[in-house]
Amino acid sequence: MPHFSNKKLIILLVSVIFLVALIGFSLRDRHNATLPEKIIKDTVGFAHSLVAKPANYITGIFSNIDSLLNTYEENQRLKMRLEDFAVLKAEVSTLKAENSSLRELASIEESLRDFDPIQATVIARNPDQWEEKIILNKGTADGVEKNMAVMTSRGLVGKIVIATPYTSEVELLYTNNENYRVSAVVHDEKNREIHGLVEGYDVERNELLLKRLDSKVDLKEGGKVLSSGLGGIFPKGILIGEITEVTTDDFGLTKMAYVKPAADFSMIEHVIIAKRKTISVDGSDGGSTNEDLVNGPADENEGDE
Amino acid sequence: MLARFLIGFVAVLLFLLESEFAVFSPLQLGEGIYYLIPRFLILYLIFLAIYYSRKKAMIYGLIFGLCFDVFFINIIGLYTVLYPVICYIAAWCVKRVHPHLVFSTILALLLMIVFEFVVYEFFYMLQFTTMALQPFLVNRLVPTTIGNLLFLIMLAWAFKYCLSARVFQRAQ
Repeated sequence: MPHFSNKKLIILLVSVIFLVALIGFSLRDRHNATLPEKIIKDTVGFAHSLVAKPANYITGIFSNIDSLLNTYEENQRLKMRLEDFAVLKAEVSTLKAENSSLRELASIEESLRDFDPIQATVIARNPDQWEEKIILNKGTADGVEKNMAVMTSRGLVGKIVIATPYTSEVELLYTNNENYRVSAVVHDEKNREIHGLVEGYDVERNELLLKRLDSKVDLKEGGKVLSSGLGGIFPKGILIGEITEVTTDDFGLTKMAYVKPAADFSMIEHVIIAKRKTISVDGSDGGSTNEDLVNGPADENEGDE
Repeated sequence: MLARFLIGFVAVLLFLLESEFAVFSPLQLGEGIYYLIPRFLILYLIFLAIYYSRKKAMIYGLIFGLCFDVFFINIIGLYTVLYPVICYIAAWCVKRVHPHLVFSTILALLLMIVFEFVVYEFFYMLQFTTMALQPFLVNRLVPTTIGNLLFLIMLAWAFKYCLSARVFQRAQ
């Protein structure tokens, strides 16, 4: 064993106390970065963005080769869907026109659906993977703020938890954080809206959980789950995933569904940050607090999503 | 001078590459999901502590640990302490024996497993993860060990070359 002199022992003890204090301090408030933290984050983020460019290029080549190999099969499938697509497109454009004229009639200007997209690139991913997090190259200087929705072209992936001037951190939907909720909506066969909350995920099935559904509703597998925009943070109508199984929840009072996410979480390179146009409440989706209404306990809810 | 610069540069590069390699994980093979966690930097630092200088390896560990804590996990103090402590243990283990390359490779691998385990226990205690011990061993520790072993063999090779070229004597 190494021999400790008195002086060394004291230094060791002091540093242990300092360490515990430091961990305690940083655990208390993990969703706001202090100034030195911001400086470190931006510097490291800059270095990461330098490396991310060639790395993305190389992974891009590999995925290109991969998709080249499937080209024939994919082409066949896509050709079949193309005809449906043309019909669908015509339908959508008439519906859009109708929607906007009806909106004009009813003089509704803002919609929960509208958002300003901010394009961002993933520069790093938490290597230790205990918390599912990715880091983007856009920050508050580009208008990114905490709690904004983050999506890929295929669907919702997560939301911003920390934004520094030049980087921002995304907590993915795959998280163990119990306070992470997204208010969602599913349409049943009669086109009625069924509301629920996406909260948590099943580790074994690797699927998201859609909870707090009315026990009377009749949900079918294959239903598309969209964000409802009612949590006050996310825009409406972002695709989250598809229902794979419907069960009752632990207490038997409400229904619960397993949702297979639409976005691919393993290889995310480019994302869109959605800045909602309608006024969004402060606080977080599904746990919103409006400071004007509740001044006191607002602190407690901070950081929940 | 050049050698000393190179040692620091490789450390920075490995730190940055870790998060690029994390993109490939989790792997889904059949039923199971396997996590591959790149631990390049700590393996490199263990080798530095054994062959180059304990003190410098610990300083590198402190700096990169702090960067890791702030940038990725927002809990300051976990990696900041673990990196230097692992380096210290590595240097302590080879104090009395002449470090043969095979011996240091096995030592580095064992220390990495210990490191991975301590980090798991920490996150389990804080309830950031609900993963039980057995899935942790099967789905995380074993694939991580195998994945890093490949890197470790390349690293040992590079160190063999550096030792024969006396790069570390020149750097000191």
